[in-house]
Amino acid sequence: MIDFDEELKKFHPSPEVEDAESTIRTLDVTDMVDLIVHLEERTFTQ
Amino acid sequence: MRCYNCGAELTINPFCTNCGADIREYRRIIWTSNQYYNDGLTKAKVRDLSGAVLSLRACLKLNRTNIEARNLLGLVYFEMGEAVAAFAEWVVSKSLKPDRNIADDFMDTIQSNPGRLDTINHSIKKYNQALSYARQGSLDLSVIQLKKVLQMNPNLVVAYELLGLLYLQGEEYNRARRILNQALRIDRNNTRVLYYLKEAEEGIAARYSGDPGSSRRRRSAGRASADAITYTSGNETIIQPVNSGDRGGSSALLNIIIGAVIGCLLMLFLVLPSRIRSANNKMNDQLKELSDEITEKDADIEEQKKTIASLQSENNELKGSIGDLSGESGMAERYDYLAEAALNYIKDPDDVTGTESMLALIPTGSASANAINLEIETVGDLDPAIYSQSFRSLYNYLDNDVSSRAARSYIDKGKQEFEDGHYQSAIEDLLKATEIAPLNDEAWYYLAESYKQSGDSIHATQAYSRIVNEMADSEYADKARTNLSNGAAADNTNEDQAGNNDTADQDNNDNGEAAAPDADADLIAQALAMQALQAGAGADTETGAE
Repeated sequence: MIDFDEELKKFHPSPEVEDAESTIRTLDVTDMVDLIVHLEERTFTQ
Repeated sequence: MRCYNCGAELTINPFCTNCGADIREYRRIIWTSNQYYNDGLTKAKVRDLSGAVLSLRACLKLNRTNIEARNLLGLVYFEMGEAVAAFAEWVVSKSLKPDRNIADDFMDTIQSNPGRLDTINHSIKKYNQALSYARQGSLDLSVIQLKKVLQMNPNLVVAYELLGLLYLQGEEYNRARRILNQALRIDRNNTRVLYYLKEAEEGIAARYSGDPGSSRRRRSAGRASADAITYTSGNETIIQPVNSGDRGGSSALLNIIIGAVIGCLLMLFLVLPSRIRSANNKMNDQLKELSDEITEKDADIEEQKKTIASLQSENNELKGSIGDLSGESGMAERYDYLAEAALNYIKDPDDVTGTESMLALIPTGSASANAINLEIETVGDLDPAIYSQSFRSLYNYLDNDVSSRAARSYIDKGKQEFEDGHYQSAIEDLLKATEIAPLNDEAWYYLAESYKQSGDSIHATQAYSRIVNEMADSEYADKARTNLSNGAAADNTNEDQAGNNDTADQDNNDNGEAAAPDADADLIAQALAMQALQAGAGADTETGAE
């Protein structure tokens, strides 16, 4: 049996055109390559 | 493939030949990212859009510079109705690879149709509003809003999901199933949609299993099994009822009676009131129609009355016009006068007075200027609005040829009568002369003299005044002025009258009565004389000044 309230919580407002700029700014584009580079740099520093 | 550290082209070695960085993990990451991309592409091709989104997101988490994956993710978002998310991916893609990027084409295509973009944005706003309604508990409003959203943006999968969920909550399983199936046509493997669809199917199945009809069937089947003996004969299963036929006739009759009573009651309480109500409604409708018809008829009658009144007034006007044309002063009569004048002229061209007298009977139709109070109508041009061109031509021809001769004839006759002492006859002829020739000073002078001699001081003064005022250069002007300054005819009236009592005019009784001393007439005549003299003096002064 579906829990309506719980299911409803899974829905989020869809971004509107007016919010497009902030949506793009807050887009997380960090990837695994960035993490490797970061780790390499840390190792090199140590 | 390039080195993540220095950007140099990598070889098959497990390290960068330029900077020496270890590239084994990097290679695995890139390989995994490409695998995810391939997976996402495959899913997108079979319309598993939500699965494609997951794969492509994973791909980009591993390698954000996978431009194809990002562009494909934007396309998938756009296909799911999420235009803003799609734009975000394409913008990032464009920033990572500014040149020769297909994301440009995608964005240009959408931006070239602002109406479509506006509709999508409106649909997204409405979806957010519907979600807000649902969270506030206004499920009906939310459903209405979501229906509008799907009309505007039929690809917005989340709207289908939410609407399906709301239908499930309202236990409208059939509607939920229909909506969710529509969502599956866009996104074939959407986990949430499939989950809701399963719930809808279960709800429908539960409803069918709890159907009173089916339970009745099951009950009747059970009773049949209790009331029947079942056995097998060969390949056939035979069901034989037990105690069939012995049902008790009295109970059946009672059931029939009870049924009939219930039927009658139903008729009385359910059918009849509705019938009566419908009959009343029908009657009310008919009354309304009749009332409308009566109103229309009244309006028609009123209009007919107005038409009759206008026609009557038009009829009266036409009758008046006919009277004008055919009456004594009508056009027919005027044509007769003209014809008679023409005939007289043809028969005897020298009988100018006869011709002129006939022409004088024809009114000119223009505004006539009465000469002082002598009731002399000046001869004017015929009114073209009344008389035809041929009528006016003939009239003018006769008038031009006859009028001057007629005036001369009347003047001569009047003078002769004046000298003979027949003043009344002289007045009549001279009046005709002045009527034909309103500026003939001789006619006016002898007319004034005739009035004076006949004792009509007022008309005499008026005639003198006319000479003084309008014919100041005339040889008779001085004489007229002298008469006016001498108190006009008034002072001399009695003396002249006395002297003329034994003349030929003495036989005229009216003239004798008119010549009786009249102080008021004298006073009027004197006043008129003074007025005329003053006016004449004023005119002379003005002329001198000029």
